[in-house]
Amino acid sequence: MIAEYGQLALTFALCISLALAIVPLYGSFKGQQTALQLGNPLAYALFLLTAFSFWALSYAFWSNDFTVVYVATNSNTLLPWYYRLTAVWGGHEGSMLLWLLTLSGWIAAVAMFSRSLPLQFQGRILGVMGLIAVGFYAFVLFMSNPFMRSLPYFPVDGRDLNPLLQDFGMIIHPPMLYMGYVGFAVSFAFAIAALMGGKFDSTWARWARPWTLAAWMFLTLGIMLGSWWAYAELGWGGWWFWDPVENASFMPWLVGTALIHSLAVTEKRGTFKSWTVLLAIAAFSLSLLGAFLVRSGVLVSVHSFAADPDRGLYLLAFLLVVVGGSLLLYALRMNSVRSQARYELFSREVLLWGNNIFLLTATLVVLLGTLFPLVHKELGLGSISIGEPFFNQLFYYLVIPFALLLGLGPWVRWKQQQVQPLLKPMSLIAIATLILALGTLAAMQSIQANLALLGLLLGAWVGSSAIFELLQRLQQFGSVKQGLTKLNASHFGMTLAHIGFAVLVIGVAMTKTYSVETQVRMKAGEQVELAGYQFMLVEVYPLNGPNYKGEAAELDVSYKGDYVTHLHAEKRFYTVQRSVMTEAAVHARLSRDLYVALGESLSDDSWALSFYVKPFVRWIWLGGLLMALGGLIALCDKRYRRGASQKDAVKQKDSADA
Amino acid sequence: MRKLAFFIPFVLFIALSVFLFSGLFSNPMERESSVINQPLPAFALPDLQQPEKIWTPDSVKGKPYLLNVWGTWCVTCNAELAYLTELREQGVMIVGLYYQQPVDAAFGEVFNLSALQQEVALKLEQQGNPYQWNILDKDRTLIFDLGVTGAPETFLIDAQGIIRYHHIGDINPQVWQQKLAAAYQSLQE
Amino acid sequence: MKYFIFSLLLITAAAQGTQALIEFKSPEQQALFKELTHELRCPKCQNQNIADSNAVVAVDMRAKTLELVQQGQNKEQVLDYMKSRYGDFVHYQPPLNKFTLILWLLPALMVCGLIVLLLVRRRAERSLVLPESSEKTQPQPLEQQLDQLIEQYRRKS
Repeated sequence: MIAEYGQLALTFALCISLALAIVPLYGSFKGQQTALQLGNPLAYALFLLTAFSFWALSYAFWSNDFTVVYVATNSNTLLPWYYRLTAVWGGHEGSMLLWLLTLSGWIAAVAMFSRSLPLQFQGRILGVMGLIAVGFYAFVLFMSNPFMRSLPYFPVDGRDLNPLLQDFGMIIHPPMLYMGYVGFAVSFAFAIAALMGGKFDSTWARWARPWTLAAWMFLTLGIMLGSWWAYAELGWGGWWFWDPVENASFMPWLVGTALIHSLAVTEKRGTFKSWTVLLAIAAFSLSLLGAFLVRSGVLVSVHSFAADPDRGLYLLAFLLVVVGGSLLLYALRMNSVRSQARYELFSREVLLWGNNIFLLTATLVVLLGTLFPLVHKELGLGSISIGEPFFNQLFYYLVIPFALLLGLGPWVRWKQQQVQPLLKPMSLIAIATLILALGTLAAMQSIQANLALLGLLLGAWVGSSAIFELLQRLQQFGSVKQGLTKLNASHFGMTLAHIGFAVLVIGVAMTKTYSVETQVRMKAGEQVELAGYQFMLVEVYPLNGPNYKGEAAELDVSYKGDYVTHLHAEKRFYTVQRSVMTEAAVHARLSRDLYVALGESLSDDSWALSFYVKPFVRWIWLGGLLMALGGLIALCDKRYRRGASQKDAVKQKDSADA
Repeated sequence: MRKLAFFIPFVLFIALSVFLFSGLFSNPMERESSVINQPLPAFALPDLQQPEKIWTPDSVKGKPYLLNVWGTWCVTCNAELAYLTELREQGVMIVGLYYQQPVDAAFGEVFNLSALQQEVALKLEQQGNPYQWNILDKDRTLIFDLGVTGAPETFLIDAQGIIRYHHIGDINPQVWQQKLAAAYQSLQE
Repeated sequence: MKYFIFSLLLITAAAQGTQALIEFKSPEQQALFKELTHELRCPKCQNQNIADSNAVVAVDMRAKTLELVQQGQNKEQVLDYMKSRYGDFVHYQPPLNKFTLILWLLPALMVCGLIVLLLVRRRAERSLVLPESSEKTQPQPLEQQLDQLIEQYRRKS
């Protein structure tokens, strides 16, 4: 019965979303207060109904209700309870329900936290989000219903969750990712609402910024979690594969980052308006494109859900309406908006444009790499593949000018910057960069490593620039201590996020250069040495898990004779799905990861084992975490909590801020 | 001019959608063959049932034939045997190329030729024998050179030993009518 | 540089009783093998390179790659060998021809184009005289004040 209630709730939710799409928008155009005021209660109702529906599906998983087809295909009685609940979003239908939950959550959040917005504007935002919601709720109810029953026949036990997904990463990665993906719908709605009204003053940018930052923060976390999870789970030490589904999440992130920076210019200087609006539309459009690519079967990916051309058609039609419609509205309305600003060629405006140039070109590279094989084939030119070598090559060229600009950016003032005052700080930073980069390489006993050197130089440049700039800003308040209490959160957030980027670049460059590996055959009692570490295979014994069998290996690790740690690696055979999984043993430190994967058993009692020593790999995820944290801190800036009545012209002194 | 520039994103998006739409109806895993219009790669492989006899590309010259890659382990191959036998009765020459799966030494598996011969003989007796003879590709060397990724796959080879067509998947009446029959007929002349 | 790393690998990998699963004649060969197995695509899988896949064709391709590398062939020779059998599809780096040139050309054009766009817009915005806009809440004096403050800052630093 619960499943039916869940479906019923979803049906009501569809009706509510229809009302949400129509009523406040109508009210905004006709000036009707009551219609506008209905927006908030409708939003809350939408969220509550969706939450109930989600709970109903979770309950079906919890109680092993295999009469529900989706539960039967994704769960099993032997599955531990925490994975049973995670399996709710393990397949297409359930993950779409998670999407709905996230969407209704953001809509409710907009309703709750928009007291300072004019009612007409807020009504339009809710209306646009309602329109998007209608499309998705209809999609789920009519084409991807998770509550379908298979009665009167039903299986005694389920097909089990794909073993690759039976991992902690599955618990957090999709929710974080969806919060980010769907969160860009809010900035999108802000842009469309503004296009409808024709007004793009800097208050619009100030209102839109925290929502964009929040979505961006979640997306950063989601992508980082995905990378970390793949590393821990897949057993070969890789952390990014340029798979189409990964690219589908990376593109909105790149555009989202460009959007945050473009919004800064629009907020502070009132220019780049049409550009910011376009980016806001583009970010969410790429989220939608991603959803289409992942679920339509157009591209080949290890991640993709089961392909269904009917679903693909619906999503493409939805894409045409939402993206096509918004771009058309943009083309028709944006021309009448003009901005006037004067800025020199050496100014923060121009440097932020530089930021946009490289982020958006990177987006184009990812888009080309992902979709060009399809275009090439459809044009009858044959099948080609575009993967890691292509992306690595182009990103290598793009990240260099980007990082160089990043180191310079925070020092440059709005409107106009003289070169002279920057000479001293920039020289200091350059010296610090060289010392840090060369010093690290000397400590690792190799000066010639090209990629590592480049990564360290760029990372040190960006990182030390960010820190020095922060110190200098703090000192302007009299003393560093005084500055800590006075400087706004935006600035701290910016500095932290930029440091995070530096850390990421260093991590990538170092781990790509210095990772070593070896594959050997070993018997119990034997030892192998790699990069100064001795790995001794103590024993291998059979395993019996809740829904798997297999083998486990115990290893002792020493470094130059001193004991480091004990490692436990597994190879699991999941009985229901009949698939093999490697649970790699990882010993994590900031300086390096030790990574051991148990392979096959060979004749004469020996085993195939893979050993990896990966220096600095944790820096990759640490960098991402710092970026997300920076976003969170920036979100807490006081000015986002100011009422609409206060003027923005206050605090001219902040002219040097982000 | 400025006004028109704002339409660029819209136009680009529509162009992209056209490709996305056509992509919905094509199979992304489909690949063209790289061996079309090339002669059969050089090989010297034994006959499955009579290993002393070695087959080479010159073994068949002078008439077009189908080279069918198959295995008893492959369910779809077994399903197509009946129709292929029918084609043989209609006069189509079909040679079998047996796809031997790798043997896992770690599990103590060994390659047993006589067991395989019996298995194949039994299968062909049950489902029908379309093959003039079967070439055993134990290490999948010819299979690799032909760009084969699985079974069943079929090659149409002309009288001069040039590969004219590479079909991936089973051969059934529709496939034969739509894709291969015309080509086979034209090669007869 | 690669020589340094993989010589490290080769020297240290030897220890009591353990044996490398695959023997290479030189660290360059080992590096080449690793590079190739990561750049070659399994023609039958859902987007995996041949290093990570256990499909029969991927295993065969790995074995063949190993054989060719151990024979002393270079990267291009091995790639040509694979592509002549399985097509361009099987290499993760797209071929460079007049159709695929766009992959590199378009990003370069975009960078140039966006630079030009900035210069054009900047010029347009500077010369634009808005009649009256709702954004200008106060007339010139504030703009002058702003310029003064900027001057002050500049002199200070």
